[in-house]
Amino acid sequence: MRAYLLQIAAVTLINVKSIPQRFWLSLSTVVAIGLVVTVLLAFLAMAYGFQRTLAGTGATDVAIVLRGGSQAEVNSTVSRDQVRLIEDGPGIARGADRKPLVSAELYLVVDGVKRTTHTKANVPLRGMGPQGPAIRKAISLVAGRMFAPGSNEIVVGKGLIGEFEGFEPDSTVKFGTSTWTVVGVFAAGGSVFESEIWADLPVVQSLFNRNNYFQTVRAKLTSPATLGPLRDYVDNDPRLKLDVKSEADYFAEQASQTSDLIQKLGWPLAIAMALGALAGALNTMYSSVAARTVEIATLRAIGFGGTPAFIGTVVESLILAIIGGVIGALATYLVFDGFTTTTMGANFAQVVFSFKLNGGLIFQGVMLAVIVGFVGGVFPAIRAARLPIVAGLQS
Amino acid sequence: MNDFVLIRKNLFRKKLRAILMIVSILIAFAIFGVLAAFERAFNVGQEVAEADRLVIVNKINFTQPLPIAYFNRVRAFPGVREVTHANWFGGYYQDPKNVLIVFAVEPETYTQIIGSDVIIPRDMRQAFIRDRAGALVGEGMASRFGWKVGDHIPISSNIFSQKNGSHTWDMTIVGIFGKRKPQIDANVMLFQYDYFDETRSFGKDTIGWMVLRTTSPSINDQVAKGIDTMFANSSYETSTDTEKAFNKAFIAQLGNIALIVTLVVGAAFVTILMIVGNTMMMIVRERAREIGVLKTLGFSSARVLRLVLGETVLLAIVGGLPGLAVAAAVTLMLRRSLVQFVPGMTLNPSIILTGLGFMLVLGLATGLLPAINAWRLKIAVAMGRG
Repeated sequence: MRAYLLQIAAVTLINVKSIPQRFWLSLSTVVAIGLVVTVLLAFLAMAYGFQRTLAGTGATDVAIVLRGGSQAEVNSTVSRDQVRLIEDGPGIARGADRKPLVSAELYLVVDGVKRTTHTKANVPLRGMGPQGPAIRKAISLVAGRMFAPGSNEIVVGKGLIGEFEGFEPDSTVKFGTSTWTVVGVFAAGGSVFESEIWADLPVVQSLFNRNNYFQTVRAKLTSPATLGPLRDYVDNDPRLKLDVKSEADYFAEQASQTSDLIQKLGWPLAIAMALGALAGALNTMYSSVAARTVEIATLRAIGFGGTPAFIGTVVESLILAIIGGVIGALATYLVFDGFTTTTMGANFAQVVFSFKLNGGLIFQGVMLAVIVGFVGGVFPAIRAARLPIVAGLQS
Repeated sequence: MNDFVLIRKNLFRKKLRAILMIVSILIAFAIFGVLAAFERAFNVGQEVAEADRLVIVNKINFTQPLPIAYFNRVRAFPGVREVTHANWFGGYYQDPKNVLIVFAVEPETYTQIIGSDVIIPRDMRQAFIRDRAGALVGEGMASRFGWKVGDHIPISSNIFSQKNGSHTWDMTIVGIFGKRKPQIDANVMLFQYDYFDETRSFGKDTIGWMVLRTTSPSINDQVAKGIDTMFANSSYETSTDTEKAFNKAFIAQLGNIALIVTLVVGAAFVTILMIVGNTMMMIVRERAREIGVLKTLGFSSARVLRLVLGETVLLAIVGGLPGLAVAAAVTLMLRRSLVQFVPGMTLNPSIILTGLGFMLVLGLATGLLPAINAWRLKIAVAMGRG
């Protein structure tokens, strides 16, 4: 047994040491596999980055109330009476002043100018009640102060200011004929709120001709478990044709739509490219076997088995593939990880997000490389193992 | 034996190697074809835009409303041949997930303005103008749900409600329209603005946007500026742009699709450039002796160069053409499942032409270095090699 393992080790070593003889061809396999892994991981990092931004937004102990069937905040409408009824609902947390922690909000889409392209794009302007920032988790000001109630003041998210022009603190912004002053910049733990502009609800209602008009209600729950009773309360009141969801579920649904789409584009592309790279890998490995025909036949003639020749070839292929996979993963990490961009979210407005890689994704990428390397090595390896000794020595 | 026979025999001398190279080229061209069709379909709004059409939206953002009174003021504006208005309805059928593109429109002018994009039979158009609860449906949508003229269908809105609190409007299909241009999206439903405006619970007397035709594309700028100036400093300022620019800006909001497509196709082509180029280098090295024989027989260096280049170009074509065929098949398959997302995805002649160009470039690029090596090869050196 030991002798056999030594045979395998010896032949594998010969294989690996012969790689430089086919340097350019081997390099082309490495590059091909590296590019496949880069393409796959770039798409997966895009999907994961978007998902993380949205999924990180919702809290389980915040209920979001939308008009029935409206799907997204931008579509929803809620009347003042409905807002009052929800404030009286069960399971809603109260502040120190015994007032319910509820924020009725208006979600409008306005134009912003993107820094990269200098073109107009949809950005969300959210009018919120005084409880609005307090209800959301992990909100902190990174510059300036919060908007003052009753004033034309806005605060902008950290992500928005990074991607859009003209929202620097103390600058003024025009939406139609109304002029607003940016008084602060807020962070929200990398969530989708960082792509938004916030202002005082009554001011937004009045300047956008939407008096007594609300779109969503957010309510802080005493615990995530009280979502059920609140939903029952809404379902049992015929005046409330509304959907009640936890904020976490609401954003998770939105995240899955877009990130599923990105993954559905990324995987087939990567698999198609992997087939192309596989053809390259097979080509390289068949050439490797062909170049060593005499050598393999000689080894067989002096008593080496077929298995070491088989394993040696597979290992050579795997090594090339893994080098390619690791280079691809490294390249994706260096080029794309943290790359910030925007896309249109479910609320018809731009969501700022960053590409993000994680260990699981890198593993998927390297596994794809290993599969290509293995399949690309097996068939040439079978040829090596079955090489007729006499014919091999003659060639 | 002419040179082509020699090239062909050379290429397929080692069948497996040739097939593997062909497969990798085939895949790269299939990826190119599908992604190019995808990108083309994505940008179709710019291609089908008519040069004399302008779009007027609220200056704050196109999702903000405009007052209906603006319609008559624009209609009377000098240089405006015709104008219509439309409203996004946020439609769905039965389940909120069955999203439909539904516009509440001014029936007479809207059908007139889109007359260059779609085919609406005259009697159906008249019925649509007459029937308050009538709806015109694109053939794509009608076939998706099996709707026919005369069907009564409940269409819900995820935005609007009726005054009675219902989210659903009853409509009668009075016509089904086809497309005049292949790239057009006939997956749309139109119904009367008056019916919509009188029944909805909020937003009365507002419209979403206007589309107008100028008397000539040369006065587009002048008309656009004039209209925006007319409404400046009012509580609803406008932003007027060509249909093409508007569609382009809208698509750009989804992301830089062109860049993504370029990077992926680029990666696929670099891969085959490496694989095929290096394999050809190896092949020329293997055939050194043979090339020496050819030169001894009186083949000029230029002819040897042509032979090698001919082989790589032939390889690119033999791999590339079936690659484009695969792309056409995949595009056809994806067409249906992506109809909501990118309608009208096709592998059009310009993509095929670009593909042919890439085949030539790829063939020459992969053959260049090996061909130069073969060209330079001295007979004495060649014959000395194994």
